Amino acid sequence: MTQPLATPENNSVENDSIIFDNVSKFYGEVLGVNRITLRFQPGITGLVGPNGSGKTTLMNLMAGLLRPTQGSIRVLGVSPDTPHKLFANVGYSTQFDSFPGGMSGYQFIYSYLRVHGFNHANAHDLTWQALERVTLTDAASRNVAGYSKGMRQRVRLAQAISHRPRVLILDEPLNGLDPMARAEVIDIFKDLADTGCHLIISSHILHEVDMIADRVVLLSSGYVVAEGEIGGVRTEMDDHPIQVLIRCTKASTVAARLFEQEHVVEASLHDDRQGLEVRTRDAKRFYASLNEIVLAEEIDIDTVTVADADVRAVYQYLIGQEGEAR
Amino acid sequence: MTSITADPTRTDESRSSGLDWGLIGRQIAGILRLELRRNLFSRRSFALYFLAFAPVGLFLIWAISPATSYFADPAQAVAQVFAPVFVGYLRTVIFLSALITFMSLYRSEILERSLHYYYLTPVRRWVLVVGKYCSALISSCAVFAVGTSMLFLLTCIPWGVGDASRYLFQGPGLGNLIGYVGIAMMGCLGYGAVFLLVGLFFRNAIIPAAFIWAWEWANFALPGVLKKISVVHYLRALYPIPLPENIAENFIAVASDPTSPWVSVPGLVIFTALVLAFAGWRAGQMEVNYEGD
Repeated sequence: MTQPLATPENNSVENDSIIFDNVSKFYGEVLGVNRITLRFQPGITGLVGPNGSGKTTLMNLMAGLLRPTQGSIRVLGVSPDTPHKLFANVGYSTQFDSFPGGMSGYQFIYSYLRVHGFNHANAHDLTWQALERVTLTDAASRNVAGYSKGMRQRVRLAQAISHRPRVLILDEPLNGLDPMARAEVIDIFKDLADTGCHLIISSHILHEVDMIADRVVLLSSGYVVAEGEIGGVRTEMDDHPIQVLIRCTKASTVAARLFEQEHVVEASLHDDRQGLEVRTRDAKRFYASLNEIVLAEEIDIDTVTVADADVRAVYQYLIGQEGEAR
Repeated sequence: MTSITADPTRTDESRSSGLDWGLIGRQIAGILRLELRRNLFSRRSFALYFLAFAPVGLFLIWAISPATSYFADPAQAVAQVFAPVFVGYLRTVIFLSALITFMSLYRSEILERSLHYYYLTPVRRWVLVVGKYCSALISSCAVFAVGTSMLFLLTCIPWGVGDASRYLFQGPGLGNLIGYVGIAMMGCLGYGAVFLLVGLFFRNAIIPAAFIWAWEWANFALPGVLKKISVVHYLRALYPIPLPENIAENFIAVASDPTSPWVSVPGLVIFTALVLAFAGWRAGQMEVNYEGD
């Protein structure tokens, strides 16, 4: 699944990707991540894994807050060792729920935009636009210390997006948000992804990752267990047959015909006999067989749904119950 | 996303190979905005104000006490009282203030877990070091210029405004005052550089600070070569009024070539520049992890 790394001849690809080349990070003798080779393309990539799997380490390496023990990292063609180039295009909302003391939400964002080098007028405009984006304008003049957890999460997001980065790294950005704010923030992510931004999002909330991410990277104990589009990852897991739910007429006939196929390992009828659940080792051949059966037996199909091709299922198959899958 | 006009005054350094000094200047100004606020208007600043102005309170009591009658005029009081007290002010008060202010530049942000906000901006690490150091230097210099001036003026004031004015404006008073304010500022410069460096290496400042403090106080008793490895040695050459002969230092002092002000001032500035260069390199190697802090 790992895509070939950019070569010097292919600079345009490198300049539009985030590339990890055989990267390891050790904290003394403790493993952070090991031999990570990845390429992140524009769009939303979900980082999924249990606590201690290396998600935050991977993000901190990307942002240059940590230095790799070995290997190299390029973010849009720039090394994280050159912050003056990197952070013109990168924003990072970390997991640290801490802020410089005594600042309002406005001052917090504005002050660091001035550190970026923006003049007053532009820093002011960018600050308001970021606050509007996360619907925090009403609380802009209030001290951040008095914000709720959700508001602190949003003001960190606003700070990360305030300078219009092309790469946005977000560590558990949905934590502490109420359902409405969560929906708004997810919309922001989707809008940014539509404009060609890279969004690297770590989350424990698997169904939300499934909903928003174009691709996932599954980590466990510092290793990449799987990466790619979630459907592709699931298809390649040969040792876990895919579960397909079918609601249709003549369900018993369909079950009998499908069970004749060598790739189908299980077919069970629903109690109301208006549907069945099939487990197959080969999705392509399964769908081909189903089409043939439907045409031959004149069956009306209501729905065909893959039951375990989401992040949660992949996570559970590959990583097991040790994580905090919700 | 709503449209944002690019800042016409902000250039993208990644497009050019050289340094954009205009951008670096704006970034340092941005760092100063944040840091001066912290240094002068936060809880951390209480220690700075207390250390700088507690001696002023003591001098106020002295100024209204009968003890002033032992001295004939402001010049004698400055030479016999202010000059020796200033030695202690420099070596203890300014020393401790520099310890608190300059060591906090990185340590307090690591403890508050807010340093990463700086590290996530497009600022070169050495620019961040320079910005933080300048902010602490400006704060310390401002506070100790006022503190030193108040001590000096309180020493003169018991003889009335007329005598004090004559000493200040017709005698050597103003020159002496400027000299002592200058020494206080040079003290902030030198000690600030030392403690900025210590803050980048040590989590707990107590042991290195105690060692440096003892070294500075014992400087007068050290052999000539070792004498020169201290801030106070270079500042001593700048005192406008020689210390009274009954000060212990003058009894025990091991002879060494006095350092000319023309050497000591540029020497301290060069030492500070070297420390800043090293601190900038060190900051560039630093990881922001907060684990174990």
